Amino acid sequence: MNDPVLVVQGLTVHRGAYAAVQDVSFTVPSGVDTAIIGPNGAGKSTLVQALLGILPHQSGEVRVLGHPLSAKGYLPPAVRQQIAYLPQNFLVDHRIPITVSELVGWGWDRVGPQLPWAGGRARRLAVRDALAKVEAWRLRDQPISSLSGGETKRVLLAYCLVRPRALLILDEAPAGLDVVAESEFYELLHQLKREQGWAILQVSHDLDMVQRSCDRVLCMNRRILCEGTPDQALAPEQLALAYGPELVRYKHSC
Amino acid sequence: MPTELTRIIELLELPFMQRAVMGSVLTGLMGGLLGSFTILRQLSFFSDALGHSTLLGISIGFLLSLDPSWVLLPFSVIFALVVNYILERTQLWTDALLNIIYSSSLAIGIILLSFRDEYRGGITHLLFGDVLAVQKADLAFSAVLLVVCAGFIGLTLRSQILLTLHEPMAIARGVDVSAQRTAFIVLLSLVVGVSIKAIGVLLISAFIVIPACAARLLSRQFNHYILISAGLGAVSAVMGMLLSALFDLPSGPSIVATQLGIFLLAALLSKARILAA
Repeated sequence: MNDPVLVVQGLTVHRGAYAAVQDVSFTVPSGVDTAIIGPNGAGKSTLVQALLGILPHQSGEVRVLGHPLSAKGYLPPAVRQQIAYLPQNFLVDHRIPITVSELVGWGWDRVGPQLPWAGGRARRLAVRDALAKVEAWRLRDQPISSLSGGETKRVLLAYCLVRPRALLILDEAPAGLDVVAESEFYELLHQLKREQGWAILQVSHDLDMVQRSCDRVLCMNRRILCEGTPDQALAPEQLALAYGPELVRYKHSC
Repeated sequence: MPTELTRIIELLELPFMQRAVMGSVLTGLMGGLLGSFTILRQLSFFSDALGHSTLLGISIGFLLSLDPSWVLLPFSVIFALVVNYILERTQLWTDALLNIIYSSSLAIGIILLSFRDEYRGGITHLLFGDVLAVQKADLAFSAVLLVVCAGFIGLTLRSQILLTLHEPMAIARGVDVSAQRTAFIVLLSLVVGVSIKAIGVLLISAFIVIPACAARLLSRQFNHYILISAGLGAVSAVMGMLLSALFDLPSGPSIVATQLGIFLLAALLSKARILAA
């Protein structure tokens, strides 16, 4: 197995007094696409937010590329640079004047104080290459608020790949897309994953996509209920543990 | 017209007028610079409440027989941090809570001032300011504060923008959101505190909000937006002071009226651009 990019041991995360994530342990190896599935309220987004340091964790250990994430969410900037995050809802206030190029450029920037013109030509070239890879170069001067849902997701992928990353974390990133746009998003995501060698950790409700595209699956409901390949984790008896016996998946060949 | 021009030139040769123009330009630059982020983070009402509440700080200074200028700055910073702390934890609506805070602190400030007989007639000065009374020390402090504001915004610009755009993504990138936000609020409170003497309690928020709104209407890129906002703050200050000198109008209100004119012009230009597209 590849070197682990993310190691989680006994992680517990509270939302107020409620333990939304309890004693969760798993590993995400390099280059592997891992899906987190589970019913609403299972703690999937809470888990992701704790891994990113958006929420503090109460106990357990998280290591990203070998570096520990502090309980309050601190990671060294050089390690942060290796992670890209696509949130569930990227709702931008349309009154904020931001172009596509500007947004993607911020994905390139290092964290910490820097001059407003830092990066210069290297930054501009990285932005151009990233937008070209997701076929969104023509959108470079468009305000973010004018983009369609599918275009926004493409631009966000450019934000992720504008700099080499080791880990991509997606929290239901295709939410809000229609079937065609969602299919295009995943096609692009997996093409980029192959090219970039990303490890991916993604929260998803789309079990068919998980079956088709992911290498490993974590099924959780506050705790990890099962873990394995898609065939193992999406077996009816495993899904019944998380979603209840009413859930039936039909496979069709058309 | 040449007579008017001569009059303006003569006025600008007066040291107090030079200080007034410089003071209003510095305030316009600082207001425009910080205002660009203030309106996008929906802190406009916060800055307004902060301005109104400084009257309480001035009153405390008078009651303690201290120079209000020395009380005003620490009061503004502490007040802003406390209000921000409360706002982050309240279950009430932000605008409702700010309304309670600013109206009550204004009321208490005026009651406290009423205990000092010699200041009963000076309320108008506090409410509308007196840019002509700006001293060299005020200018020096404003200049230093402008450099600090520009340095802070310049060096943290990309983090500030990401934080304004999407806070969870900023945290995921390693931006210390709490520190950045606190630093911004401290600077905003210092700008408000420093500018009260010249601009007054009632009008200071106009310096922060109006040029930034006009700049937003004229900008498509964030970097341009910040520069235009600061530029409009300075331009409206110079134009307002000239109008004030030309027509013998009160200075602070003349600058705010000029800001309004620029805002309306920006709105027209923006509309015309949309129709032409």
